[in-house]
Amino acid sequence: MSRGTLRILLFTALGLAVFPFAIHPIGGYPGLATQICIMAIGAVALNLLLGEAGMLSYGQALFFGCGAYVSAILVQRAMPQHPNLVLAVLGGIVVSTAAAAIIGALVVRLYGIYFALLTLAFGQMGYFIVEQAKDWTNGDDGLQGIPDALIYVGTAGVDLQTPLPAVDLGPFGNLSDVHLWYIFAAVILLLVIWFVRTLNGSQFGEVLGAIRENEDRSRMIGFVPQLYRFAAFVIAGALTGLAGGLRALYDLQAVVDYANIDRSGSFVIYTVVGGVQTLLGPVVGTAVIMYLENVGSGFLAKYPQLPGWQWFEGLIFVLVIVFLPAGIVGTFKRKRKPNFAKMLAVKR
Amino acid sequence: MDAFLQAFLNGLVLGLIYVAIAVGLTIVFGTLRLVNFAHGAFFSVGAYVGLVVANKYGLVPGFIIAPIAVAILAVILDRIVLRPFYNKEPTSQLLLTFGIALVIQESLRWIFGGTAQQYTLPPELMSPFTLGPIVYPAYRLAFALGVVLLLVAVWLFLARTDYGLIVRAGIRDRIMVQLLGGNITRASTIVFALGAGIAGLVGAAASPIYSVEPTTGFDFLVPSFVVVVVGGLGSFWGAVAGGLLVGILKSLMTLYYPPAADVIIYVLMAVVLIVRPQGLFGESEVIRQ
Repeated sequence: MSRGTLRILLFTALGLAVFPFAIHPIGGYPGLATQICIMAIGAVALNLLLGEAGMLSYGQALFFGCGAYVSAILVQRAMPQHPNLVLAVLGGIVVSTAAAAIIGALVVRLYGIYFALLTLAFGQMGYFIVEQAKDWTNGDDGLQGIPDALIYVGTAGVDLQTPLPAVDLGPFGNLSDVHLWYIFAAVILLLVIWFVRTLNGSQFGEVLGAIRENEDRSRMIGFVPQLYRFAAFVIAGALTGLAGGLRALYDLQAVVDYANIDRSGSFVIYTVVGGVQTLLGPVVGTAVIMYLENVGSGFLAKYPQLPGWQWFEGLIFVLVIVFLPAGIVGTFKRKRKPNFAKMLAVKR
Repeated sequence: MDAFLQAFLNGLVLGLIYVAIAVGLTIVFGTLRLVNFAHGAFFSVGAYVGLVVANKYGLVPGFIIAPIAVAILAVILDRIVLRPFYNKEPTSQLLLTFGIALVIQESLRWIFGGTAQQYTLPPELMSPFTLGPIVYPAYRLAFALGVVLLLVAVWLFLARTDYGLIVRAGIRDRIMVQLLGGNITRASTIVFALGAGIAGLVGAAASPIYSVEPTTGFDFLVPSFVVVVVGGLGSFWGAVAGGLLVGILKSLMTLYYPPAADVIIYVLMAVVLIVRPQGLFGESEVIRQ
């Protein structure tokens, strides 16, 4: 592991360690922090597509829903006595990877606008399948009351709902507010960030970037762009499936909202608001938007004469695209880099 | 009247709505190279404006004011928000129009509430129309006829006017049109307003048939994307053929196997993609952009 990677991972780990307590005084809570970590995995996956490969996917909900429903069904039907979290999530990843491979084979031949439309359409197809396959998914009501899945270490099951020991932290709540779930989700997120950074730095990532910038040239050099785009699509599908599985097993439900178009849209919003083509942008974007959603919708519920949260979410999104196209992290990074062109410019 | 014919006619009406939306998307794409996610929101705005005006002053004023209002909204959005994005990459344009669509949709929810509303037709328009074996609501037949006339008008615009020439040429090679001195910017404003106006008018006209919700436009937009993919982006006749195919297929599926009604059109799309990725009427150059 290079020093740069180590530094970023340590920095992120530190941020994740203080995060559930830091949001306590401003209306957040550790359960929200856990959900943010899980959803951030999906946003990081989308950024692998959008940022690295330049593929704007509006259909990530299909893989998220796939992971969520398969994990939930596995826990509920295949192992109700000894629900094994790792096995259930792996099952979800396998199925969503397969789905990404099938859809990817169809869509990677197309580009830009076409690619976005197709992923959107396939995402909608997934939504309607989830809604109609009532025997498996329970339709609009979703799967409720999923047994609490455990992580097995040897034969002993660890319940992730176990709280940490009670230590009063003053304005930052209590250490026992945080359950093992948060630590688990944060560690997985950290691993995903590490994986994606390694991927981006590898030859694979370099070629993806080359394809994004100029596909014809990268083909001339001798690469097969479709293969790289396909691989990126499948990896992103697998990671999104992981996020879906974790979300279902954390929420103890799998609902049709996991698979709908708003879910696909929200991954795009998180990533763009945080900063496309930045490693931590999607994570920051997820945290900011989900936190604002949580606090904002609670606040707006008291004022029915104001528009709903989604109105503000859309507005924030438009404002970011117009005025802050690099996103939160991207803008911050750009400011820190010295602008040599400006320094060398002769004043007239 | 047998169920098949009934479902077929329903599919025809539905398909004509898809055609109208897809044609709007296509002509805007032709001049601006912009796939407009907000196109569905224009449809919703037209439906609500039509609903409000029709309830107060009657159906015909609603049909006149709705497309004008939507066209004005579109031109304002184009001038203020979209124009700086003309020369940016398509991805950021898509993101921007996606955001605009979200804001418009949520504004409608804010103003009109989230519950479905429907325009109640006067009884004389509700009555069934009989022609041989066909018995069908008079309004739906009039609607279908109206959309066909609208499409003929759009086709005449594309085929017979100078702006239409620029649009058709722009679909093939936008840069060449500019090099040859075609004023694609002025044409684009007109075309953008026209596309939005069509969506608004069809939205208003459809509001007595389908109930109106803030998300209605988006619900029609996604199948219209399928239509565009099936027919071929940038092709007028592709949009017509694709729209009717998708509408009728969906409606017949509702009759024979309802759970698959929404899924079948995506299966169709997948098949077209494998067999003919540029769409039924599309030209292969257009997809690589």
